[in-house]
Amino acid sequence: MSATAIAAGGPASGTTAEHTQVHNVTFWRVLRSEWIKLWTLRSTWWTLGSTVVVMVGFALLLAFVVQLAGDAMEGAPPEDQAAMGGVLGGTTVVAAGYEMAALVVAVLGALVITGEYSTGMIRSTFAAVPARLPAFFGKAVVLVLVTAVLAAVSLALSWLVTYPILNASDATVDFGDSTQVRSLFGTVLYVTLVALFALAVGTLLRHTAGAIFTVVAIFLVIPIVFQIATLAAAQVEWVGVVNKLLPSVAGAQITPSAGAFPDVLDPWVGISVLAGYTVLALAGAATRLKLQDA
Amino acid sequence: MIEARGLTKKYGAKTAVDDVTFTVQPGQVTGFLGPNGAGKSTTMRMIVGLDRPTAGTVTVNGKPYATHRRPLAEVGALLDAKAVHTGRTARNHLLAMAATHGIATKRVDEVIELTGLQSVASKRVGGFSLGMGQRLGIAAALLGDPRTLILDEPVNGLDPEGVLWVRNIAKYLASEGRTVFLSSHLMSEVALTADHVIVIGKGRILADAPVSEIVDGAARKLVRVRSPQATVLVELLKGTDAEVDAIEPGLLEIRGTDAAAVGELAASARVVLHELTPVASTLEEAYMSLTADSVEYQSEDLAAITGTSSDLEGSKA
Repeated sequence: MSATAIAAGGPASGTTAEHTQVHNVTFWRVLRSEWIKLWTLRSTWWTLGSTVVVMVGFALLLAFVVQLAGDAMEGAPPEDQAAMGGVLGGTTVVAAGYEMAALVVAVLGALVITGEYSTGMIRSTFAAVPARLPAFFGKAVVLVLVTAVLAAVSLALSWLVTYPILNASDATVDFGDSTQVRSLFGTVLYVTLVALFALAVGTLLRHTAGAIFTVVAIFLVIPIVFQIATLAAAQVEWVGVVNKLLPSVAGAQITPSAGAFPDVLDPWVGISVLAGYTVLALAGAATRLKLQDA
Repeated sequence: MIEARGLTKKYGAKTAVDDVTFTVQPGQVTGFLGPNGAGKSTTMRMIVGLDRPTAGTVTVNGKPYATHRRPLAEVGALLDAKAVHTGRTARNHLLAMAATHGIATKRVDEVIELTGLQSVASKRVGGFSLGMGQRLGIAAALLGDPRTLILDEPVNGLDPEGVLWVRNIAKYLASEGRTVFLSSHLMSEVALTADHVIVIGKGRILADAPVSEIVDGAARKLVRVRSPQATVLVELLKGTDAEVDAIEPGLLEIRGTDAAAVGELAASARVVLHELTPVASTLEEAYMSLTADSVEYQSEDLAAITGTSSDLEGSKA
């Protein structure tokens, strides 16, 4: 407090000097507020930057692997080369980092809400938007927009930097192939849904570390356990059923890395299953947010 | 105007706020006084809808807070200085808050200037002192030019200059016809700022009256007497309304009477007095006696307390 502020025309100079224009709270205004909130935190820039680095980095790495493999298979039978191309096609390379990227984006999704609970900001948020749900859905919309654009930009950058390498191996993305285009679109969808899922988990747990741990467990640890289980106990039916219904396994079928296992869902069914989990989690989160004390 | 009716908040078996009914009138500063843990913050959080009442209702300017279309224009609340993301700068915090109500950037800079935050507005809140945090909280509360202000312990952590500033701004806003509801655990603070006071203890309203009435009534006189014949004096006083505390051998503290009466009584019985001192109890003591045991001091007892007279100016000094 500077002495001048007291001296200058009494204690409340400015509060009524000019009438302050205050408008009704609308979803559009809440959205703007959430947009400002997102971009005024360093953690946002860190997570978004990391996502790009991870996506482009993995793509470059895999592009080099493709190049090396291509060199090694020089003179190999054409059908072997074709099989290699199937596993490590252009889309697989471009989207190579999507699982890691999804986890980084999940951190962002969780932080959007847990950052507010851990700092107490949530009370300011709810004081301004006492209906609460507009603030929650505002966060969700902003997160979806940013994550989707980020994933698309990351894929585009990955495509750009790997193009010279893949071009030499004749393994670039074929944009005329609807399956390849769908898989890239699906990657954007997958990453975005994971971010939303993390937002829901963060809202339910109100705790950054707990939320991130939970998302990592669901999308990374449990799938690995089931991957091993499906190999070790292939004859046990429920293992296979649960495996294909896991959020990550179901959702991944639409991405370029799909298809290695025999018993999986159709790509669009799979991503719908992931979307279903996300909607359920969001509904639970919205209920808790609305009903419980902040 | 804030109206609470039968407001109750229970956390499991613990009752934080117990069937509280009160009205906070516009045009004056209403102090909300009570020891830490008395239920002040919980009550204020219920007013702005952060906590859901277990029972009862509370309205602001006639409607529940959450149903207002421009909540920040109805109520500006400083509930705690830490309701801010530590990673964001003060100005960006205010801009984000303002955006929800379409409040112009000009107003954001106005409240920054008003609260003296210009030099730290572009710094992240994580590095703020408690005092700066309070100022930011007050800036956020003023953002929507609200008709009602709710300030929970607003002078906490402020330097003397800041304390004075809060007092002045609270009085000024009330003089404009706004409702100002300000909590404190310090009687002296409320006495200096508020016109009306609501005292809460253990979740119950102990008093709801003009400040002058509470202060007059609660600040009871005390007479200190030193005498080698203290025991004789105690016997004599038993015949009167006075309460006697034997502090140590030969030293008494007497309430419910005045020095003149004690002196006359002693003279009539030829009791030697070494000291006879009227001691005005402090506001702090008056308040402590009011809140010391909220079960003992129900609202009906207040009439008895406020019935006794005291010298207000003397107790302030």
